[in-house]
Amino acid sequence: MVQTAATYQAALEKLHQHLHSYVPLTKTEFRQMEPFIEIREFDKRVKVIHEGEVERYLNVIAWGLARKYLPVRNKEITIQLASEGHMIHSELSFHYRIPSRSVVETIEPTVFFSISYDSLEQLYEQIPGMERLGRLMITDLFIKSDNRYFNQLRNSTRERFLEYVRNHPDMVQRVPQKYLASFLNIKPETFSRLKHLMRPRKERG
Amino acid sequence: MGQKPMPFLYVCIQKPGEAQFKTLFDMLEMLQQYIAGYVALTGEEFAVLADKLVVREFERRQLLVQVGEVEEYLSFVVRGLARMYFFKGKTEMITNIAKEGELIGSSSSFLSGKPSCYYVETLEPCTLLSITRANLEKAYRESPKIEKLGRLVTTYFVLQKEEWELECMRLDTRERFLRFVGNNPELLLRVPQKYLASYLNMKPETFSRLKNHVKKRPVAGRP
Repeated sequence: MVQTAATYQAALEKLHQHLHSYVPLTKTEFRQMEPFIEIREFDKRVKVIHEGEVERYLNVIAWGLARKYLPVRNKEITIQLASEGHMIHSELSFHYRIPSRSVVETIEPTVFFSISYDSLEQLYEQIPGMERLGRLMITDLFIKSDNRYFNQLRNSTRERFLEYVRNHPDMVQRVPQKYLASFLNIKPETFSRLKHLMRPRKERG
Repeated sequence: MGQKPMPFLYVCIQKPGEAQFKTLFDMLEMLQQYIAGYVALTGEEFAVLADKLVVREFERRQLLVQVGEVEEYLSFVVRGLARMYFFKGKTEMITNIAKEGELIGSSSSFLSGKPSCYYVETLEPCTLLSITRANLEKAYRESPKIEKLGRLVTTYFVLQKEEWELECMRLDTRERFLRFVGNNPELLLRVPQKYLASYLNMKPETFSRLKNHVKKRPVAGRP
């Protein structure tokens, strides 16, 4: 995977836009943040953090695709799927500085904008306005995760499938079916069976 | 931290009535202790927040928020017990139970300003210290330290949710029961058993079987 400087510049520009959607952030202010951000590249199917390690980074995906899963009794339960612009890391491990129970693994070749725990603390201390950015990003994350949890508890298998397919058609193309099924808490067989719902009615048969 | 006597005294002293003053003082002290777990506020910084709080009293079994309403308050429980739930068909699904020293409210609705997916209801008579969304925003603008507090409390919300979800996947029914009872022994006495079962996402029969089992044979390893 060879990337030019221009590609990174474009990705940084996108990150700026993304952060700007939370708080107004001038170019100069964003420049101040840049030294704290590390760019990390991974091939596909690479574990970015293993079970038992302490998570060092908060990651935002510049490009690529990754998932977070929990190893349980010889099974992997996918708990998050993340694409460009999304945050993915082992949160409990990162914030409490404890060994991670979950694993973050790339699905496609992936580039992360990463910030270490210490850098993040420095960022909060040194740059005014970062607290607000952090608060708004974490608020957004909470609302999304609460929404997912609620849907998981309340909706039927079929409803969960349809809602996801409708809202994330791109992910359905990119994510292997077994991960999608695990993420939606649907048996792989059931998932295959439900796939006919994705096609328009007249094309069936 | 270490700034006694309480510097927010002047905030309370404007409230009429000696008896009320004492209670309010105690309430604010409770809140200040809670906040100290996240960030050290000076007296002035705490006053920015204390100034914007309202005291709300509720009987038992009163709804604080209905499904479809926007949650206007984030509340700190000074006294009492409340639960958050929704209906799946005809079944109540409880997703949160809060007691003294904890926050309650339909948090996602409070934060997003969108209609609540949950009911919030008191289980016991409650006294709450509450702040409206508009006033909290105002406090954020007045004090960066309070904004930091907001970030840390919201982060804690996320982590708590993550921890709960992981536990539900990782632990079996018995392990979850034991863990919950170990961490919240007093809730076993205060909360109707069917609610606890719902909160732990298990059948009431399973809950009562596990409870009797534990009573007869104390958990191994305990003295």
